[in-house]
Amino acid sequence: MEEEYEILENTVKDFNAKYIENNALKIENEGITESLLKSLSEQGFLSMAYQVGAGKNLDMKAYSIILENLAKVSPSVAVKVLITNAFLSVVNEEEVLSEVSQGSKSGTVVFSELLGGYNSKERLKIENGRLEGKKEFVLGSNSDYIVTIVDSGELVLVKSGFKSVASHKKLGFRGLEFSTVSFDTKDFSMIGKEGIDILRKTYDEMSIPISAVALGISEGSLAKAIEYGKVRMAFNHYLKDFQPIAFNLTTNMAELSILKQYFRDITSSNPAGRESLYLKIRAIEIAKEVSKNSLQTHGGYGYLEDFGVEKFYRDSMALSILFYNEEKEMEKLAEMIFESRAGFV
Amino acid sequence: MDFEITEDMKDAISKARAFANKYFNEELAAKSDSMEKFPMELVELSRKENLLDYSNPWKVLVTIEELCRRDPGLGISVTIPAFGSEVLMLFGSDKLKEKYLNQVVAGKAIMGLGVTEPGGGSDVANIKTEARREGDHYVLNGGKMFISNGQIADFFIVLARTSPPPSPDKKHRGMSVFVVESKSKGFTANKLHGKLGVRATNTAELIFDNVEVPAENLVGEEGKGFYYIMTFFNISRIYVAAQGLGIAQGALDRLMDFASKSNNINDAGELKEGIQFAIAEVATRIEAARNLTYKAASFLFNFNPNPVVTSMAKYYAAETAVYAAKTAMEITGVTGLSTELERFYRDSKILEIWEGTSEVEKLIISRMMMKNQGGN
Repeated sequence: MEEEYEILENTVKDFNAKYIENNALKIENEGITESLLKSLSEQGFLSMAYQVGAGKNLDMKAYSIILENLAKVSPSVAVKVLITNAFLSVVNEEEVLSEVSQGSKSGTVVFSELLGGYNSKERLKIENGRLEGKKEFVLGSNSDYIVTIVDSGELVLVKSGFKSVASHKKLGFRGLEFSTVSFDTKDFSMIGKEGIDILRKTYDEMSIPISAVALGISEGSLAKAIEYGKVRMAFNHYLKDFQPIAFNLTTNMAELSILKQYFRDITSSNPAGRESLYLKIRAIEIAKEVSKNSLQTHGGYGYLEDFGVEKFYRDSMALSILFYNEEKEMEKLAEMIFESRAGFV
Repeated sequence: MDFEITEDMKDAISKARAFANKYFNEELAAKSDSMEKFPMELVELSRKENLLDYSNPWKVLVTIEELCRRDPGLGISVTIPAFGSEVLMLFGSDKLKEKYLNQVVAGKAIMGLGVTEPGGGSDVANIKTEARREGDHYVLNGGKMFISNGQIADFFIVLARTSPPPSPDKKHRGMSVFVVESKSKGFTANKLHGKLGVRATNTAELIFDNVEVPAENLVGEEGKGFYYIMTFFNISRIYVAAQGLGIAQGALDRLMDFASKSNNINDAGELKEGIQFAIAEVATRIEAARNLTYKAASFLFNFNPNPVVTSMAKYYAAETAVYAAKTAMEITGVTGLSTELERFYRDSKILEIWEGTSEVEKLIISRMMMKNQGGN
């Protein structure tokens, strides 16, 4: 890895040690605080996509290193950074961009329409200049700004006049609020008329950053399992001494290392391209597998939140639902591979 | 060979289904889960309605299955108050049965089993809790971990070491089982918070600090405790397998419900094949797990237990529950995430850990098969 990226990785690790590691459970139970948001902002983690607007290209490698390393300790914090940067990449109002990138305000994007299993009966309409209705599955629903699509297809930035009305069950990313949001406001602005296209483009370009979160989950949970295997004894041996445990975790490490190398290689390629999708599919599957193995290695203790392992098990599944529509993305990839529509029957 | 279930079993399933329809609701399940609160009111109702017929183990088995199908946390909570009772039933004196077991069967007491220790996990032979004989009583010192009903049980079946092992390779010897009342001086139960799943159940760490236990509370013979507990596990694992069947079936029910209601129709007007395959794969595993579990139960209930088949059933049914919940979550997406299915996903994972991890079950299977003990 180039020196500048090594320095960045160490910076994120230092940040984790200072602000997150000892508070990871508190973040899960009480949410991401304003002061943590401010600290994330001061490091520039919340403005990776904003810099693009300032005439720079998004440094995907740097962005991915930040997400990956945050996710090793707190996937909730990594996802907060992810949705904040997604917000910055679609919003074009300078004042809002400035507030959110500085951490004084927060913003989120609602991707519900693109998710697998989405079948909401809720409606969100603009009538006589007023936005009224509800939107389900808003991750980061306590944000100050929300970008969402309305029934007539436009993508809008809502600045006030909304509130969370029903909290969804929180399988994962418990540091973030996840609710149905009710809107009744005139305080919104138009981002674009072809809302679904903008939303889809943003989502497609998140494949590498989402993979970075998945990799971080895998690395974080695997590191815990390996450490536990070195110190925990059963039947007069350390867990690492037993073939099934040692070989399983070693296999996980081998797969993860190969994937990580691929990840490093493609961060400069088309973020919405075939390689990014290959990466995303495998990264999410491996995150689920590794976090399950890690929990199993910890036995009963892995089932308790105090050991910081069960959150990876929950978060990997939440990531695969909230940031990965397997059917749609496989269809897209299959079409690239077969050079015609495929996998739809 | 007859694969038909009996009329008694059918009646028990109907009764369990009616009970769940009447008393299991999402509000209670969600509250018990989020607040980690044991649903004692459901236990009271199940007693009142004689939900569990302990005189017929087949009826108990299908009742567990049916209740867990509706909600794992509530289902397990309702069916766990007698956990460990088989140890007393098989090895306890008439006096112990009368004093303790009858109370549980009559629905007047809750019991628990204290075997697992903080440093031991599945390694039962390495337990550190000690019981020292002093005149007409024993004095217990040590601790137990992950104990179901830990804070709510009136008494526990506790495994403790009463004499040193004769040699390092015979650590399973020198252990004994006692009935320890939770009101005993020196006994403490600390509730464990923040479990991934089965949060409706009550789990605790037990501490024995010079707890005096009357000598008459020794179960069976001194030194045979390990054997008693292993015998118990060969029974309880079948009921854990039934929990797995219920969770897996419940996940499949929700997956099929999703498939039938949503826009999952392909260009040919049929359910998309990806979903059809998922349903078929989950359903096939459940059927295989059910046949394995019922076979293990058949051996056991006819007084011819087969530990190999029992371990196969527990291991495979647990894996099936985890697989079914994962598959259902992946296909139902945000629908599953926002419904009780996410609880099935969290709850199912414990089955691969408690009552012997999947790794331990595999060791039992292979070791006994290599000795030609059990299996087919």
